[in-house]
Amino acid sequence: MDGGLHKLEKANYIIELKNVSRIFDDDTVAVDNFNFYVKKGEFVTFLGPSGCGKSTTLRMIAGFDFPSKGEILLNGKDISLLPPNKRPINMVFQKYALFPHLDVYENVAFGLRLKKIPVELKDDQGNLVYKINKKKIREIKHEINATKRNRHLTEQEKEEKLAKLNSNLEAVSSNPEVAYKYKKLSNKEIDEKVAKALKIVDLDALEERDISTLSGGQQQRVAIARAIVNEPEILLLDEPLGALDLKMRKDMQLELKDMHTRLGITFIYVTHDQEEALTMSDTIVVMKDGVIQQIGKPKDIYDEPKNAFVADFIGESNIYNATMLKDKHVRFLDFNFVCVDDFPVNEKVDVVIRPEDVEIVPVEKGMIKGYIHNKIFKGVNYQYTVMVGKNELIVKSTKDYQVNSQIGISIEPDSIHIMKKDFTMNIYTDAWINNKNEIMIDDLPFECDITQLIPGSTVDNDGYVVSKDGKHRYDFKDADVVAEVSIEKVEVIDDIEDERVQAVGEIVDQVYKGDHYRLIVRTENEEDFVLDTPYTYNYNDRVGIHIDKADIKMRLKKEAKEYEI
Amino acid sequence: MVKKVLAKSYVYLMLFLMYVPILVLVVFSFTDGESVGIWNGFTFDLYGRLFRNEEIMIAVGNTVIIALISSVCSTIIGTLGAIGVYYSKRRTRAIIENINQIPVVNAEIVLALSLTFMFVFIGTYIFHENIFSFWTLLFGHMILEVPFVYLNVKPKLQQMDPALYEAALDLGCSPRQALYKVTIPQIAPGVLSGFMLSITLSLDDFIVTAFTSGPGLLSGAGKIETISTFIQSSIKKKIVPIEVRALTTIIVALVLIATVLLVMYQNHLKFKASARILTQKQIVARRIKNSVIYGILAAIVIFFVVIICINL
Repeated sequence: MDGGLHKLEKANYIIELKNVSRIFDDDTVAVDNFNFYVKKGEFVTFLGPSGCGKSTTLRMIAGFDFPSKGEILLNGKDISLLPPNKRPINMVFQKYALFPHLDVYENVAFGLRLKKIPVELKDDQGNLVYKINKKKIREIKHEINATKRNRHLTEQEKEEKLAKLNSNLEAVSSNPEVAYKYKKLSNKEIDEKVAKALKIVDLDALEERDISTLSGGQQQRVAIARAIVNEPEILLLDEPLGALDLKMRKDMQLELKDMHTRLGITFIYVTHDQEEALTMSDTIVVMKDGVIQQIGKPKDIYDEPKNAFVADFIGESNIYNATMLKDKHVRFLDFNFVCVDDFPVNEKVDVVIRPEDVEIVPVEKGMIKGYIHNKIFKGVNYQYTVMVGKNELIVKSTKDYQVNSQIGISIEPDSIHIMKKDFTMNIYTDAWINNKNEIMIDDLPFECDITQLIPGSTVDNDGYVVSKDGKHRYDFKDADVVAEVSIEKVEVIDDIEDERVQAVGEIVDQVYKGDHYRLIVRTENEEDFVLDTPYTYNYNDRVGIHIDKADIKMRLKKEAKEYEI
Repeated sequence: MVKKVLAKSYVYLMLFLMYVPILVLVVFSFTDGESVGIWNGFTFDLYGRLFRNEEIMIAVGNTVIIALISSVCSTIIGTLGAIGVYYSKRRTRAIIENINQIPVVNAEIVLALSLTFMFVFIGTYIFHENIFSFWTLLFGHMILEVPFVYLNVKPKLQQMDPALYEAALDLGCSPRQALYKVTIPQIAPGVLSGFMLSITLSLDDFIVTAFTSGPGLLSGAGKIETISTFIQSSIKKKIVPIEVRALTTIIVALVLIATVLLVMYQNHLKFKASARILTQKQIVARRIKNSVIYGILAAIVIFFVVIICINL
């Protein structure tokens, strides 16, 4: 990026998260190396399934949690370790967290009563008083110390920053400034502000009501009024509509969006509801397992999802395994489709097609043929499940077709979105060989073909590997290896008591890929097995894993001769 | 029908048996017979003599002072302790909670004896004098009360939405302000019931008082006597002062008034939380009911004040 442009944009950033990670005491990584910027006045949404780290990120911005690594900058100043009461940021909590011992008015006035505003200090003659600003000196000194300890800056950057801060310090300590005293807001000022805030949320008639007498929607509005009355620079909203019913939620979505435009405050919103995110946000951050999957405008994320997770999470989609052919052609559903994305030839990719982008045409005009297996009336359109060979294809259309009728399918090139495949192999970098010549993955023994470590070798009666010419013998006990298992070769077994089961785990992820599901099975020791299966499972199902002896590919981490005996 | 009558009469019988001794005592406070259980004609004389009996008055004064001071102290300590434990790590919390259980279930005599041993030990080896005084008594009562305050405050903390404290910080409170403005108002009912329980425990405590008291307070150079230790020592001399009958009647009346007020306050809170909208008629009915109860309580107070004043 051009330096000047970067600088210009940087000035508009209200909050920046740099390399922020949050690792809890039990070593779970809630947020992993988060890099992210919010522009002033933007409506940003963190979107992801529960446990993806979106709430933790929000709590770090609010100051209830502190990053284990990295820094959070507000208007360019590091606020990573500032307590919440020192931040010009307010939050609307998930269950509102209104104070039950105070009425509506006092709840909204709570922040105002604590606020102290600076007033110019004047002497007896009414002249301004000048003093050296001790607070600023303290702040600069603090920042100097923080810079010295900062591990993310290079030596040169550090020196530059320190030189600048030191000259600042000198300037401040030699120039007296106008002195201020701090004064609480008067009751009249508080009255006006509370009335204004309650008016914004349409609650002006309820000032004296007890919190417990309000409905959920009203409590929600009080919570918003209580936050915006402080005129924060950033308003954080932690799934604020989760407890409301559908109709009320839809209304509040529009109202919040409207409020955002009127107030001009930066909104950071957290939700697991993709529709909510698409409706309200300027920018969406899709998260999974503490890692950002994609950042973009709602339309970009919907039309150009970066990977299968984002495509599956945002909107309905058809996802298929595909292979790139030359000249912008891609092959899936046994047909070579023209596409607009350019990927290396023969690369295995994921393809996403939105149901509304698929066109149903007469059989003879279709690129591929299929029959309608299932039909659901959805109000504005019909949703068809079309069987193309063994694959399912979801299609949305306003036209009415008969179930079981043969149809043709046509897909425009720019409706085919191609994504880099997440992975095709399970790779285990910390596997090792035990004394029975089995490979230990996740501390569980799997039978393997140990002879592949030395090409052409055999295993003798004592369990040692003997090279082809019989001159070398190897003892691979405790040898560290890297194991690779292709996704197609991992077998899932429903009955965990079955004797073929080698590992047991829970299903933590499931994505439908046209004719099969891609599952991620996580064992107790947090090892993941990615596999394909034609059958559908439920999240958190406990299943067994079996890998055939021949399908485990492995290589030694060290040289083979280190194990020679 | 028969079943219902039987069930009800059983309950009333039990209540009757529980209250009969108190009723007998109340009745006999209005006669001045020296021997227990002999009706000697109706008189308010005992109420006057009660207030003229210096020994009893000193015991009553000591009891009230000890009860108030120890309850205030243990309520503060117990509440802060509960808040501290609630916000500490899970492991620490589990340990402290278990340790706190022991004094609650432990026999009081063990507590009293161990306190005595400790005070004697400290007095002998550190201060080189007898340290039994008002302070040891206060310490003993606080040890007795703090676990109960903790047990009363803890559930209120657990019921509180943890986001409330965070919301207070978010709106600009320092942690200390958040504690005063949000946490303490939220747990106030628990703190209050802990305080009341402390007063009760302290008022009728005998064992710890007998083992830990020394000279001081209204007793001057003599050992501090509370109501319970005073009665016990009188029984040892085989003469229970007849004024004690009037004293216990007054205590019963005070306890009755306090209980009724507390129940009414709780009902008021519950009513407020339920947010029911009442008709005009219901509001009037509620007011009449409340006024009748307040009237009865006031009548009891006036009755005792009048008979005391007349006989003094």
